[in-house]
Formats: sequence, structure tokens, C-alpha cells
Amino acid sequence: MSSTVTRTRLAIVAAAAGIAILAGCSSPAPAGKASAASCEPAKGKVTLQYWNTVPGMDKVVDLWNKKNPNIQVETKNISNDQYGIIGNALKAGKAPDLAQVGYDQLPNLRTQDAFVDASGCSAATATKSKFVPWTWSQTSFGDTGVFALPQDTGPMALYVRSDIFKKYGVAIPKTWDEYAAAAKKLHKADSDLTITYFDPNNAEWFNGLLWQNNAEMYSYSDDKWHVTVESDQSKQVTEYWQKLISDKLVRTDLAHGSTQMYAAYQKNQIASYVGAAWGYSMFRDNLPRQAGKWTIVPMPTWGANGASGNWGGSTVAFMRGSKHLYESVKFNTWLNTDPEALALENELGGLYPAANAGLQLPALSKGVPYYNNEKIFDVFAASSKKVDTRFAWGPTQKTVNLALQDAMAKAAAGDGTLTDALAAAQTAALKSMKDQAIPAAAGK
Amino acid sequence: MSNQPVTSESRVSRTAVMALMSLLAIYFLLPVYFLIVAATKPQGDLASTNGLAFSHFNLFENLRVLFTRSDGIFGRWAVNTVIYAVLGAAVGTLISALCGYALAKFRFRGREFLFSVILGGVLVPTTALALPLFLLFSATGLVNTYLAVFLPSIVSPFGVYLARIFANAAVPQELIESARLDGAGEFRTFFSVAFKLMTPALVTIFLFQFVAIWNNFFLPMVMLQKESLFPITLGLYQWNGQTARAPLLQQSVITGSLVSIVPVIIVFILLQRFWRSGLAAGSLK
Repeated sequence: MSSTVTRTRLAIVAAAAGIAILAGCSSPAPAGKASAASCEPAKGKVTLQYWNTVPGMDKVVDLWNKKNPNIQVETKNISNDQYGIIGNALKAGKAPDLAQVGYDQLPNLRTQDAFVDASGCSAATATKSKFVPWTWSQTSFGDTGVFALPQDTGPMALYVRSDIFKKYGVAIPKTWDEYAAAAKKLHKADSDLTITYFDPNNAEWFNGLLWQNNAEMYSYSDDKWHVTVESDQSKQVTEYWQKLISDKLVRTDLAHGSTQMYAAYQKNQIASYVGAAWGYSMFRDNLPRQAGKWTIVPMPTWGANGASGNWGGSTVAFMRGSKHLYESVKFNTWLNTDPEALALENELGGLYPAANAGLQLPALSKGVPYYNNEKIFDVFAASSKKVDTRFAWGPTQKTVNLALQDAMAKAAAGDGTLTDALAAAQTAALKSMKDQAIPAAAGK
Repeated sequence: MSNQPVTSESRVSRTAVMALMSLLAIYFLLPVYFLIVAATKPQGDLASTNGLAFSHFNLFENLRVLFTRSDGIFGRWAVNTVIYAVLGAAVGTLISALCGYALAKFRFRGREFLFSVILGGVLVPTTALALPLFLLFSATGLVNTYLAVFLPSIVSPFGVYLARIFANAAVPQELIESARLDGAGEFRTFFSVAFKLMTPALVTIFLFQFVAIWNNFFLPMVMLQKESLFPITLGLYQWNGQTARAPLLQQSVITGSLVSIVPVIIVFILLQRFWRSGLAAGSLK
């Protein structure tokens, strides 16, 4: 079996390489930097290509197609190997008009000249006020253009097994200090119980924790990147979690979303979960017998700093090579700001919207039965507004995430500390940028 | 097939063989057992209950969800798989039979060379052919159509090999000659005389092809983009990629996997007889 998989992988790589080579000669030359593309409406009917990973997106697009006979949209689901497929299409010069791209992958794809700047379309720039501020800041790269429209977000919060906290007389923590104290009490009361788990192989989650503490990892000015993966703020986060790990107050053997993780929750071995808005359905669907036992409260804060974190979420990017920018802007705006579209995306795809209008959807202002009919989305909406808008991702984010995970896994196994992992990530960031001839320097 | 060898076997060796066989049977059937158990559970029980023990029986609800999800796309995938596998295997068997018969019964220049080349084809894994095929089909505009998966599926060098061996063994030259004397053309001779004699081997070839196409995952993945053309394997793979966003898809992937192996099991049990005799025929030479 494993040899088949390897062979398949190899073949995929070979296929990708082959397609890339074949297409190399036909791909258009990259256009000039940072100049907004023209925004002329097309004459007659156009068909747009839109690639995404959202379940049920074809239904949302059907709705649009029915209302807009002259702008027809075709969707393609690229859930398996999203960035591989986008990357190959870019190399082949066959990118779609619109593609789903995670916030943390935007800078990486931009250095590959993947996007077209839609700021020439007044309709695109006019949407700025419709989105949660930090999302616009990331899709516009600090207001230097409009490269994508925000689609969904993952504002973070704390999922709490209120019955366990109650049983041991532990108050639900509001700050990380209180959280550490609660961790100690719970573990003391029941040695099989830990307050949460730390998944060392989940850099995306960990980045959300860093984000909360205003630990900006990158900034761009004077034509170069400034790398501050290792900073006082990020060290505060790593030292905090390192202490919990060293004192064995959190488990490090569970992978996020794994069967083992759900089994541990099912056996009442874990009392809370530091998660994002989209996680609510994971618990509801995988742990039905714990209905009514969970509550969702704001993420513990760092002292007086009330900021919250974000984990995940995506944008719909304007891809280079699109011949119908005007129509793409129209569809993209509808897709991500129209209440009817947002409601359907939330219902079918579980998306937590990035648009302000989405936060007021009827489905998101009702109580959720699994969570004791509490209005859990109010917590996420409040969290969303407290996410640091200055936070930016690096152009080699994937490489840095992998380096961080490698070092964090070692730390979890007792080899080094999480703070060492930050140093490793900082080094990896600088090296990967140097390898790609991207100007970068350490420090602010 | 007399009973003599059985009676002369010692009890010890028989027990040992039985034990080994039972062990192997358990080893091979355990995943199937797991699949059956998992397919009967609601999503919430998948992670939270023992994987090998039944819990709430929810199979019918799972099946309903499976077949109604996304406007019943799973049914469409099932039909596609049947088209690819049954039609592909039938046409493939016919071509193999004709080819193998010709190689066995006609003498012509370069016959052995041709046969060696075909035999060489057995050594090339289909996965390695997917990329060149993709480029060929891409150039001819066949990518993303039924033909893109169907055409490569009807070619089977192993089938040709098996058909030749069997035609040699099962079709006496005298019979062909008497058919010719009676005035039958070559195709008439083949279909009325040789074809019937070769039936056990042809069933074997059909089975091989059927299973190979049914399980072929990589070729459709390379060739197809339209969901409505997918076979079950590719469709389930796509669903599996979305479970992070839609946890309930996991149960449908599992139920779908169970549904997808049922036809293969049925075909095997029904055609078991032919399968064995065909294999034995191949192994003689």
C-alpha cells in the first residue's frame, strides 16, 4: 500500500513538473509591479472560473448564475492539494479568474506574481468598509492594492467543559495566568485530566496564539521584509506554554482533529479547547454525547491586553491572467458581502464570514442547541473585532511553519524548548527568503 | 482431484496450515469488518467508541445521507464506475481475446517479437503511463471526457498474454481447420468455435480488468476535473479532502467505501469458479 502511495505521489510530482515544463513557453510574461489593472466591462456574456475548497459552493454559485445570465461562473473543488493545483495552473498560464487562498498564503503567492490588483475597479475599493478590519489589511497588503476579497475567518475563543470546571470548583479563566492556575488545580484533582492539549505539529494554531499577543512576525518597508518571528511578545507565549508542557499540565500527544483527540475528549480527559469559530461544528458532530456540557467564552487574555487571535480563514483572490476583472469583482463582491450568499455559505460550508454583514446573519445570532442554546457566535463576533490589524504573514510562510513545527515537536519530546523553536523559525524565515532572493533583515 | 493427498497428510501439518490460513483470513478480513462496523455508526460514534464494536445502528440513515448528498452525486459516481469498469472490462476482454487468439493460431512474420513487446507491456505500471497519456489526451482534447478514462482501460497486455496461452491449450488446431473446411470465415471461426472454448480464460481476463479499472484511482484523477464524470474512488477522495470543513462528510466517505466494495465482492463470488480454472490455465505454461 505505502509503495503505491509513494509511486502515486512521485507520479503527481512528475505530472506537475511535466505540465509546468510544457506550459512554461506559453505562460505570459509577468506584468509590471503594483500597477492596477484596467477595469472595463466585457461586451456580452462571460464565463468566470472560480476554484475553491468550500463544500456546497456549487449551490451558492448556482444562485448567482440564475440571477446573472451574462456573468456565468464555473466552480472547481480543489480540496485535495489546493496550493499545488493553483501553483501548477499559474505556471501553466491557466489560472482561474478567482481562487480561494488562505490569508497566510497570500504573501507567498504574491511573490510569485499570482495576483492582479483590482484597485482600478472602484467597486472593489468600495468594499473596504464592508469587511472586518484585519482581513482587509491582509488582502490589500496594508492598503497597497486590492488583491483578494476576504471570505471567512477563524476568530478564536475558549471552548470550556463547564461541567468539569464546576465539578472541581474551578472558575472559568479570563487571563492566561488564571488559565495556568486552573490547569494546575484540575490536574491535581484528577491526574488523568489536563486542561487542554498542545499540538506541536500545528503551526497555524500556534501562529494564532502569537497573533493574539501582538507578536508581529513580519513587516515590509523600505523595499525589504523585516523578520521578527523571535520577539519579546512571541517569547512570552512560548515560555508560557513551555512551562505548562514541562509541568505536564497539558498533553502533547494529540493531533488536532484526530480520532485520538476526540477519544480523549470523549473520555473526559481534557477540559477545554483553544479553538476558532469554525470548530463549533467539529465538536457538535464528533462528540454528540457531550451536548450541553460545552460553553464558549472569550480567549484568555494577556493581562490588560484584551486582544484576541485568529486561526485560519480564506480569501477569494483575483488571479493574474483573468480577462474579466470587472465581472470578477462583481461576483466576488456578491459572494462575500451579500447576506443571502453568506447565509448559504455558512449553512453548507460552515464558513464564518469576514464581512460585517455576515456577523449579523440570522443563523449566527441564534442560540446553538449543542451549546446549551447559548449565542456562541456573539463571542466569536466580539473576538473578531479584537484581532490585531497589523499582523502580517511572510512570503515563505509555509517553510517557516514547517521549521517551527519540527522544532516544537522536538521541544514537546524534551529536546530543547518552544523558545528555541522560535529561534529556529526565525533562522528558517531569513534563510528561505535569502534562497529566493527576497530582500530581508532581522529585527524591526 | 482425488482425495488421496488429503488422507496421507499428517494431522500436525494440516492443523498448521489451517492455523496459518485462519490467521491470514483474519488479517485480510479485519479491515472489511472495521468498514462494516464503522458504516453502521453515526458520525458522533466514529471517534468516541471502540472501532471494532458496534454501537448505535445507523446504517440506513447513513445510506440515505450518502445517496442524497449534493443532489445524489454519489449515485452518479456509481453509474460512472459501472460504465468504466463493466464496459471497459468487456471491450478490453474482447480485444485481448482476439489478439491472443491471433497470436496463438496464426503464423506470421514477427509474431514472437510482437508477443514479446506486448509481454513487456505487462512490466510497465499503469501509474507510469498516466502522465504520457494525459499529455496525449490533452493534445487531442479528450481530457475531462468519458473517453479519457475509458480508452486506456480497454488495453490489457496481461489479458493478451493469458488469452494466447489459453487459446494454445484449449482450442485444438483440428477444430479450427474443420471449421474452415466447412466454409466459416476467420471471424466466424473465432466467435462460434474458439470464443466458447476460451470462455473460462475470458472470464478471468474480464475479472482482472474489472477489478483493475474499478480500483484505478490515479488515471481518473489525472484526467478528470468535472465532478459529474468521477468514478466512486475519486469522488470519495474529494469528499475526504473536505472533512476538515464539513466533519459529517467523514461518515459518508466510510459508508461510500463500503458500498463501493460490494459489487466487487459479488462479482468475485459469482465468478469464482472461472477465476480459479483460469488462473490454473495461466500457470501451466
